[in-house]
Amino acid sequence: MAMPAVERLVNLTIALLETRRPLTFEELRRRTGYYPQSDPSSARRMFERDKETLRNLGIPVETRQEFGMDDPGYLIDRRAYELRDVGLDAEEVAALSLAVDMLGREEGALPLAKLAARAPDPAPLQAPPTRADVPVGDVDVFAPAIVERRVVTFTYRTADGRTGFRTVEPYGIVRRRRAWYLVGRDRDRDATRGFRTDRMLSDVKVVGPADAFAVPPDLDLGSIVSGPDIPTVDAVLEAQPAGQWALGARGAIDEGPGSVGTRRMRLSGIDPVRDRAWLLGVAPDAAVVSPGPVVDALRDALERVAARHGSRSTGASAATVAR
Amino acid sequence: MTRSRPQPDVVRMLTLVPWLIERPGASLRETAVTFATDVATLRTELEHLDYCGLPGLGGGALFDVEITGDRVTVRMADELRYPMRPSPHEALRLLLIATTAERVAGADVPALRSAVHKLHAALGVTPGAVTVLDAEPDEVVLVVRSAIAAGVRVRFSYRGRGDDVPAERIVEPWAVELSEGAWYLHGHDVGAGAGRTFRLDRSADLVATDEANIQPVPSDLESPAYQPSDDDIEVELRLDPSAWWLLDAVSADGTLPAGEDGALAVRLQTGSPEWLARLVLMAGGEAEVLLPEDLRERVRCRAEDALRALDAAGRDVPHEEVGGA
Repeated sequence: MAMPAVERLVNLTIALLETRRPLTFEELRRRTGYYPQSDPSSARRMFERDKETLRNLGIPVETRQEFGMDDPGYLIDRRAYELRDVGLDAEEVAALSLAVDMLGREEGALPLAKLAARAPDPAPLQAPPTRADVPVGDVDVFAPAIVERRVVTFTYRTADGRTGFRTVEPYGIVRRRRAWYLVGRDRDRDATRGFRTDRMLSDVKVVGPADAFAVPPDLDLGSIVSGPDIPTVDAVLEAQPAGQWALGARGAIDEGPGSVGTRRMRLSGIDPVRDRAWLLGVAPDAAVVSPGPVVDALRDALERVAARHGSRSTGASAATVAR
Repeated sequence: MTRSRPQPDVVRMLTLVPWLIERPGASLRETAVTFATDVATLRTELEHLDYCGLPGLGGGALFDVEITGDRVTVRMADELRYPMRPSPHEALRLLLIATTAERVAGADVPALRSAVHKLHAALGVTPGAVTVLDAEPDEVVLVVRSAIAAGVRVRFSYRGRGDDVPAERIVEPWAVELSEGAWYLHGHDVGAGAGRTFRLDRSADLVATDEANIQPVPSDLESPAYQPSDDDIEVELRLDPSAWWLLDAVSADGTLPAGEDGALAVRLQTGSPEWLARLVLMAGGEAEVLLPEDLRERVRCRAEDALRALDAAGRDVPHEEVGGA
């Protein structure tokens, strides 16, 4: 019976780790007794498949053309293969096990086992009654770019609908509420920007070698994604009973009766841009009285909503939506 | 239950060796849990490893894998005394998991902070390259968490997706969960007499009571996911690119480009037209209901009501911001 493939792959890994100099295919074949096919090209093909499988698993099989040799040689550099000096203590292993339990055993268990292989066993830990759900597989495509510092290219659609090709040195990834951002230096514009991954078209490519750039020290990715701080304002609203509840939930202060049947309420820390949608959501149960520019912006938006939902607009008909 | 044949995994086998060298006599059951697999698969992999080692003339030097009952010991395997580096995919996933956990539960589990730091260093990733924002529990979440710790009920007023007016709820809290950027409370709704999930940003005046919980906490909690029901209506929306965020708030059945300007046509189902109308209003003219007609009208009426409310507001009271300039 033929040797099971997993045993052959594990042993090939060990042979390539243990050798001091690159081994040619013929040497490997002689030494291991694998690839016994009488047809040399089919034996060679089987070895090439194994080599590719190992590389796809993340095992750094190197090809080296040694001086004076006809055939290339292969080896695995221990320094590239081995994970050393992680230095996790028992509390940290317990904390990371909890994180993996909380957010994804499927994705996290094996990588954590690698990091904790030589660490002490986890200390006892009382798990807090908290769960979280982050789709960590969403951003797999950027992993080689971020972890190995490789350049990424993609077509990007900006908030106002324009598209353009970008070449980016990715400094990192940011998760903010429901969105992912790739943050990095846009090479053509020579500027550090945040790119929402859901505005990238489907042509994301990781290109070029590892360590293609250096990440600036003390970079605060969060502030790049959050953008400059827009000064916030106090908004005064007149709220119907239904709206009072929503405003109260956001921490508004009741300032007494307003016009007929309403209460005047003051909301602090309103960002005129980011909170516009929220204010539209509570309309008409809570109407903004001041500041004036916020009132004008809301009036504008509401007029557009009303116009768009007036008599049926031409253009896309319902039939254009695929079932 | 159907049982598939155990599938051995090369990377797991390469990781099991250093792990087991460090832990002679490890329990098969516990090791399987650590490696997110089952005992049958683990056994198969260990049996294969017994035939692994340094291949060579005369049979080479094979590993010694000894299984007795639930215990396993691996010897003569020094070639693999160190684990392999995580792949970039594994590294990024693990960093995201650890960083998110640190944001969400770092206050309760302080070791997460130093662990995240060591992970970045070991994986060769710049500190801060993986950043998770807005995941910290707010005050309401902290109140719920202390209620869970104390085993007492919480009381709050709540406005569900389909509710026109908020109603008071008394809930025996089981767990809080951060999902898709929002915090949820899982618990036993005393009024409904059943387990329910609440979005905490639709709650107000939440307090912990001094009434102890009566119902046992279930061992397995369900995730908050929207389930379509028979009462749902079919809706079609047209979204300008700047209103694509709306997709995050709904579960769309299908999307299709609707024009060269980047607009999307979206089909979805909802049991709560009122909530959807509010959502469309929030897009401020960058989203349009295509179908059904009565939802279009509902949106138009809401917008017109809101415009009238803006006109009426502040009419009969003095404008306090006036003055100065």
